[in-house]
Amino acid sequence: MKPVLYFALALALSALQAALLRWLGGGAIPVMIVLPMVLWLGLHANTVEGAVSATAIGYVLDLANGGPKGLMTFLSVALFLFARGAGAAVDIPGRVGFAVLTLVGTFLAGCAALGLIDLVTPQVAAPGWELAGRIGLEALVTALASPLVLSLMNATDRLFARDDPTLLR
Amino acid sequence: MFSLLKRFRDLALVAALLLVPLGVYFAHARRPSERSRLDRFFIVLTAPVERGVAFVIGGALDGWRGYVGLRGAHERAQQLSRRVNELELEQRDKVRLEAENERLRVLLGFAESEPGFEVVGARVIGVRLDAKGLQLVRIDRGADDGVEKLMPVVVARGVVGRVHAVTSSTADVLLLTDLNSSIAVRVARSRARANVRGTGDPDVCRLDYALRSDDLQDADELVTSGTDGIFPRGLAVGRVENLKKAGQGLYQKADVIPAVDVTKLEEVLVLRSRAAGGRDESAAVAQSGPAVERSAPARPPAGSAAAPAAASATPSGSHAATNGATAPNPRAVTSAPHPAATPSPRATTSAPHDTRTAAQPRREAGSRVP
Repeated sequence: MKPVLYFALALALSALQAALLRWLGGGAIPVMIVLPMVLWLGLHANTVEGAVSATAIGYVLDLANGGPKGLMTFLSVALFLFARGAGAAVDIPGRVGFAVLTLVGTFLAGCAALGLIDLVTPQVAAPGWELAGRIGLEALVTALASPLVLSLMNATDRLFARDDPTLLR
Repeated sequence: MFSLLKRFRDLALVAALLLVPLGVYFAHARRPSERSRLDRFFIVLTAPVERGVAFVIGGALDGWRGYVGLRGAHERAQQLSRRVNELELEQRDKVRLEAENERLRVLLGFAESEPGFEVVGARVIGVRLDAKGLQLVRIDRGADDGVEKLMPVVVARGVVGRVHAVTSSTADVLLLTDLNSSIAVRVARSRARANVRGTGDPDVCRLDYALRSDDLQDADELVTSGTDGIFPRGLAVGRVENLKKAGQGLYQKADVIPAVDVTKLEEVLVLRSRAAGGRDESAAVAQSGPAVERSAPARPPAGSAAAPAAASATPSGSHAATNGATAPNPRAVTSAPHPAATPSPRATTSAPHDTRTAAQPRREAGSRVP
């Protein structure tokens, strides 16, 4: 049930991001507001549920990006694993910690995407690493917006907590 | 075996979820595939969200611009309105200055055309066109500026009047339309002589002492003859209208429409003779015939007997002039404004014309016609 909800939420956030960017600079400021969802899943969801949800969210990102299918899905699952590993290795406290994780994760995901695209694209059409600056800006803006996503995901998670059957005992 | 699968199920699932998309990516990367129906379905699902957000944000922005922003727009509109008012005032000032500049340019041109006179430019600062009193305008130049009594006052279009009274900083100008004003003129076309006397009506004067035998027509232009010792020769005075030749009598009668609309005066020129003595001699002209020829050196005297005409140009008429005093009550002296008013008709008729000597022709060569 949760992956479906996260999928719907990712669709809604993706649409919201597209609509907002129309008014906020017309795309001059890059942002991937859905990615923090994956990072949150890596920190708080169980492995199977989180991986499936990350796949669903990655699919949404693939749809939104319009690039080759599978790229963002793969990166989303990889980011989920990265967040899971980071959460296990270090303490990530509060919104600031989540923002830092988002900054790093989004930047790594962007660089990985560039690398993967570079692998399969002819040299003349390859995006090149000149885009690293823009990826950094995207990571920064996404990190700044990530506390909002954190609050949204926490609120969504509390909805499911009410259905916990142990509360009836 | 089953337990082993169960043990690594989660790991296998994650690995599959990781690797399958990667495989899909490499499979489709070089040959991008079309979006599937499922893809299009989900994209369609997001459209209402985008439309809704656009509606909300657009509505909010419209609301801001249409209502909240109106407060600033109101202030801006007020500022612009004030600015428009200021610009309109500036524009009016500009138009006024342009008109003034044009008038002054014409005056300057006139001044340069009068080499025998110095000109003192003056602004009209007061008007008294009371039919019950003198018809005067006050100018902002007085004795300190060299303005003296009896100095002629003109504009480019013609004669305005002459200085009647002077203070240190202002002067009153007796207009040619005043009852007490009489100016010796010639008909520009035929050179016939006459006098133009004011009627008290700013729009019309009267033609006096135009001999019945003289060549006069309606619309004839009248110019100063220079024989009154006040005005230089050739200045426009007015235009003959309603000429009436009676079956008997010595003179023709006619109205004269002044060349200058005295109700619209703004700037004038006071003419000051360059000759030594200035107005003192001019004043003397008004009192003694022979002095005329000395008083207007820039203009050749029209004749030896300009005195009567000059005398008639004083505000109080010849009576006051011969008394050597200004008339305290102009109306009191208008009963004898001119020598022509003497009981003897012959003496009267000779008044404006007896200034001619036998040798002097009626037409003065070289008289200027404006």
